[in-house]
Amino acid sequence: MKVPISWLNEYVDVADIPVRELADKLTFSGVEVEGIEEIGVVLDDHFVVGEVLTCEAHPNSDHLHVCTVSDGTETLPIVCGAPNCRAGIKVALARIGAVVPEGGFTIKQAKRRGAVSRGMLCSARELKLSDDHDGIMILDADAVPGTPLRTILPPPETVLDLEITWNRPDCLSIIGLAREFAALLGRPLRMPGVAFETAGEPVEQLAAVRVEAPDLCWRYTARVLTQVEDGPSPAWMQRRLEQCGVRPLGLIVDVTNYVMLECGQPLHAFDHRHLADRTIIVRRAREGEHIRTLDGMDRTLDSEMLVIADAHEPAAIAGVMGGAESEIVEGTRTVLVESALFAAPSIKRTATTLGLRSESSHRFERGVDLDLADWASRRAVALLAQYGNARVAPGVIDADHRPAPQAPVRMRFQRAREVIGLPLAPETMIGHLTSLGLQTADSDSESATFAIPSWRVDLECEADLIEEVARLHGLDELPDIMPLVLAVPGTDDTRVRAVSLCRQTLLGFGLSEAMHYSFLSADELNTFDATANDRRLVLPNPVSADYAVMRDSLLPQLVQSLGRNFARQMEAPALFEIGRVFSQTPEGGLTEEEHLSIGFGGPFGRGALDRRRSVTNEEALLWLKGIAESLLCRLHAGEPAFEPAEHPAFEPGWGISVALAGEKIGLLGLIRGTLRHAWRMNVPMAVGELKLEPLLAGFDKREPLKPVPAYPGVRRDLALLVPASLTHERIVEAIREAAPESLTDIRLFDIFMPKETRGERRSLAYTLEFRSAERTLTDDEVNAACQKIIKAVSETLGAEVRAG
Amino acid sequence: MNLEELAALHAKSLAEIEQAETPAALEQIRIRYLGRNGLLPAVMKQLKDVPADERPAFGRQANAWRQALDAALSTRGEALADSPAGTAPAFDSSLPGRWFATGAQHPVSRVIDEVTRIFGRLGFTVADGPDIETRFNNFTALNTAAHHPSMDAADTFWFDDDLLLRTQTSPVQIRVMLNHQPPVRIITPGRCYRRDTTDATHSANIHQIEGLYVDTRPVSLADLKATLATFAREMMGPGVGVRFRPHFFPFTEPSVEVDFSCHLCDGKGCRVCKQSGWIEIAGAGMVDPRVYRHVGYDPEKVYGFAFGMGVERIAMIRYGIADIRHLYENDLRFLTQFA
Ligand SMILES: [Zn+2]
Repeated sequence: MKVPISWLNEYVDVADIPVRELADKLTFSGVEVEGIEEIGVVLDDHFVVGEVLTCEAHPNSDHLHVCTVSDGTETLPIVCGAPNCRAGIKVALARIGAVVPEGGFTIKQAKRRGAVSRGMLCSARELKLSDDHDGIMILDADAVPGTPLRTILPPPETVLDLEITWNRPDCLSIIGLAREFAALLGRPLRMPGVAFETAGEPVEQLAAVRVEAPDLCWRYTARVLTQVEDGPSPAWMQRRLEQCGVRPLGLIVDVTNYVMLECGQPLHAFDHRHLADRTIIVRRAREGEHIRTLDGMDRTLDSEMLVIADAHEPAAIAGVMGGAESEIVEGTRTVLVESALFAAPSIKRTATTLGLRSESSHRFERGVDLDLADWASRRAVALLAQYGNARVAPGVIDADHRPAPQAPVRMRFQRAREVIGLPLAPETMIGHLTSLGLQTADSDSESATFAIPSWRVDLECEADLIEEVARLHGLDELPDIMPLVLAVPGTDDTRVRAVSLCRQTLLGFGLSEAMHYSFLSADELNTFDATANDRRLVLPNPVSADYAVMRDSLLPQLVQSLGRNFARQMEAPALFEIGRVFSQTPEGGLTEEEHLSIGFGGPFGRGALDRRRSVTNEEALLWLKGIAESLLCRLHAGEPAFEPAEHPAFEPGWGISVALAGEKIGLLGLIRGTLRHAWRMNVPMAVGELKLEPLLAGFDKREPLKPVPAYPGVRRDLALLVPASLTHERIVEAIREAAPESLTDIRLFDIFMPKETRGERRSLAYTLEFRSAERTLTDDEVNAACQKIIKAVSETLGAEVRAG
Repeated sequence: MNLEELAALHAKSLAEIEQAETPAALEQIRIRYLGRNGLLPAVMKQLKDVPADERPAFGRQANAWRQALDAALSTRGEALADSPAGTAPAFDSSLPGRWFATGAQHPVSRVIDEVTRIFGRLGFTVADGPDIETRFNNFTALNTAAHHPSMDAADTFWFDDDLLLRTQTSPVQIRVMLNHQPPVRIITPGRCYRRDTTDATHSANIHQIEGLYVDTRPVSLADLKATLATFAREMMGPGVGVRFRPHFFPFTEPSVEVDFSCHLCDGKGCRVCKQSGWIEIAGAGMVDPRVYRHVGYDPEKVYGFAFGMGVERIAMIRYGIADIRHLYENDLRFLTQFA
C-alpha cells in the first residue's frame, strides 16, 4: 500500500511531523513500513522555464543538437542530445551553477565537440520527477520563459510503502491510515465532501437492479450520470494515482480508482449503453458461462462465482474485474456507478480459482467497511460531477441485504492488565479504544463495553480489544526482567538425550552431519531403487520435478553427497543424517519414520600415514559394520544380528541386514560400481540406513553391576588355517562347544590368506581368555582345555592349528 | 618370600630394564627374571608355600609383575631397536600427531541444540510431531480462517483435502494441548515446508522452533518479553536487547514481531542489520482464545504465550552464512568448519 504524505495530510495533519517519525509511529503500532520513497526535490532559481528558439544538428555529431534557448532575459547557446529537442518548445532549463538532482553534478560552461554550451535541458529523471529519461521534459506551451521551475512543477512528495497485515483491511486506504494516525497522534480526522446537484430523470427510470444472490452480495448501490465529459483527469489526481502505482486512464475510470484508494471501497463504472434492458442482475454465473475481462482474456466461470449481469450476459465478475463489453470507452456519456459489498470468501474463491487478482478483489477478500458503499458512491459521483460536468440522476438504487452489525464487545480491565503485563488505568485503556472510533456503550469499575465501528470487521472479542490497547499504548514500557519459572511436572526428555548421544557418538567417529531435503526427483529415487516406486509418496503440487517425490530412504541423497564430496577431492568423505522418510501403506495411508543413514568412501578410519594403501571391499564394509556395532553398544540398543542381504543399489554379495531382537532394523552395504562411477569414484563407498527408534529404545536401561574379577585370567593364542568359506561365526561356535565354562572371551586378532593356499584357505588367529571367579587357574588346566579345543576344531572344522 | 619382598623385586626389575643400554643387556635381564631358572618362575614355585589366606593376593601380585615385566621389556626393546646404541635422535616434536578427526555437527542441528538447551534451562521441554499434518492441526485449530492466504495451494504442499506437509511446527502445540492439561511449557523444533522456489534466502525445506507456555495463573506479554530477552542474551550475547513491534498472526493476540538488537554492531547499525541496529528474529504473542477453544481449554481459565523462529535464519545470522542453499548442499568444505 503506497501512501503519499500530502494526500494523507488532507484528512489528518501530518505534514509537520518528520517522515521518519511518522514511519516509526506506524511501525510500532503494527503497520510495517517497507520503504520511504522521495519523489522530486525542491529546485532553486538555477532551474527555470526555457524556450528553444533554434535547434540545428551539430556539425560534428550524428545525434547532438546545437540550440539557442531563451531563459527570459538572455539567449543561451546549448548543446543537447535529446531526440525530442526541437525549436519552439518550452523546456526545463538548468542554468550555469545548477546542481542537477540526479547525479549531483554542477552545470558549467563547456565545449561539446567544439560547440559552446551554457546550460542543460533536463529530463524528468534528472529532476527526480519520474523514471522517464527518453528525452527532455516538454512543458506546457503557455509556460513563461524565466519562470522558476519550482513554481510550476508539482511539489516534492514523500510516499510511504506499507505492508498491511491480513487482519487490517481498513488500512488499505488513505482515509483508513489517516484514521490510524488520528488515533496515534490525537488529532482530528477530516472527511472530504460528497455533495452534488442532481438533475433529469430519476435513477429508477434509467436502470434497475435485481440481486438474486443476497448471500454473496450483501449490498448493491447504483447511481447514474449522464452527459459525462470523459477525458484526462486533473493532473493532481493523475499524479496521486501514479504515486500509488495505478495508471491513469481517463476521468471516469480514474475517479473510481481514486475513490477506492481514498476510502477503500472498490467501485465499478459501466457504460450504460451496453447494459441490455438497462438492468443489473447480481447472480451466480451459469456453469461454463464466458466473459471477456478488461485485460482481454476470455474467462470460463463456474456456478459458485458471482457476476454482475445485464439482462443477457455477465458484464463483470463481481468484485474482481469488469468485462470488456461494458468497458468505459471514448464516447461513453452515460455511466452507471456500482458501489457494492460482496461476501469475502466468495471473492477470495473466485479470484483464486481464476488466478485473477485486482485491487478490488484484494480489498473484498479481506473485508470492506460494512457502511461505506453509499458514501463512496456519493464521493465518486461528486468528483465526476465536478470534473466531468456530468448530470447526476436523482436518487440511488440501494439493494441492502447486509448482515446484522457486529455485536458490542466487553473488555475487563483486570484481564487486559494481566495479558499485557502493565498496570494500565481504565481511563487510559478506554482512551486508546475511543481514539480508534470505538464507542463506550456501557462501563463500570471492572469493565467497559464498546460498539464496534463498521470499518473494524476484525474486532470480534475481548482479546481483539486487548490487542488494540497494547498496540496503541506501545510495548516499549514492558519491563525486561528475568522470568519466574515454575517447573512443569511430568516432563520427559529421554528421547532428546538419546538422539543427542547418537549424534555425538557418530560425530566422535569422524562422520559429519548432513541435512537433505525431504523430497527429490523420481529419477534419483528410481536410479537407486526402482522396486519401491509404487510405495512412494508423490507430491501433487511440487515446486519442480526435481523435488516431486517424498524420500522413502535417506540413502540416495547420502550417496550423492558422498560422491560429490569425493569429486571435490575429499579423500575419505564420511557423513550421517538423521531424518524422516515417507511412504504409502497398501491401504493408501501416509506414514513417516525417523531414520539414520551413515556412509563413507575411501580410506575411512585409517591413520594419516596409512591412506595410500588401497581399500578392499572387506575393509570398507567391516568399518561400516563396526560403526553400527559400536553405536548400538553405546546406546545399549542390544546385541545385533547380521545376515547377508541384497539391495538394488548394493554390489551383489556386499550387503548385510541388521536385526535387533529378531526385528530387522536396516541394511548396510557397498554401493554398486555403476552408481559410484558418476563421480569417478574408484574406491568402495559403504552406506547403511537404520530405523532410529529401535536404536534409542535401550538408552536409559542399565545392566545390573557385575563384580570385578578377583583372579587373573590366563590367555592362550590359537591360529587356525581353515577352508576360506568357513565363517568366523562357525569357528567361534566350535571353540565354545569344546571349551569349559572358564573360557570367558574369544577375540580375533589376526586374519590373512596365505599366498600358497591360492585363496582356498585362510588363517584366523584368536586370543582365548580363561578365568575362574573362585581361584587362579593353573597352567595344566588351561593347557588341557586348549588341547580339547584344538582337537575339536581339527576334527569338526578341518582346521589346521598353526603354532600354539 | 612375602608381599613386600615381591613388590621390591618388582620395582627393582623395572628399574633395571629402564637402565639397560643395549639389546644384549636387556636380554640378560630378561633371562635373569623370566628364563627357565629365572626369578619369576622361582617365585611362582613358592606360591604353594605361602599361607592360604595370603595366597590369592600373592598370586595376583606375581601375575601383575609378569605383565609389567613383559610390557617394560617390549617397550625398552623397541626403544633400543629404534636407535643404534646410545645415539637416539631427539623426538621430532614437529611431526603431526596421530589423531582422529571428529565430524562436524550440521549448523541447523547445532542451532536447534543450542536453542533447546537455553529454553531447557527456562523450563521448556522438547515436543515433536509428524511432518505430515492435518488441516485441523496446521490451520483450523490455529485460527487460520479458511480464506487466509497461507492455505493456498500456491504456498502449501497438500496431499489431499486434509493432509499436508506442515507449514510450521505450531501443530505440535495443538497436539500437546489436546493431550495435556495446563501447565504446558514446550519447545518444538522441527522441519517445515513452504512452496518456495529455492534462492539465496528461500528454501522449500526449513526448520522452525516454536515455544508455548500455557498456565492457569496469569502469564503476560511482559513474561513473554522477559523470556525472549533471556534467550536473546544467552544466544547472541549479554548486551543484546529485545524489542516488540505489534503485528498480526492468526494464532496469537496481541501479536508481535520480535527484534534483537544487532550483536555485531551493538545496535549502531551495520550491513547485517541493514543499518537499523535491530534484527528481526521471531514472531510471538499471547495465545488467541479461539485456539484454546479448539483444543478444549477454557479461555477464561488459562493464560499463555507462544513464539516461533526460523532456525536457518538464526544460523545464517549467527555464523554469517550468506546463502541458505549452503545449508542443504552438504559440502564438507563448508560443514567441517562447524566442527
Ligand atoms: Zn548491526
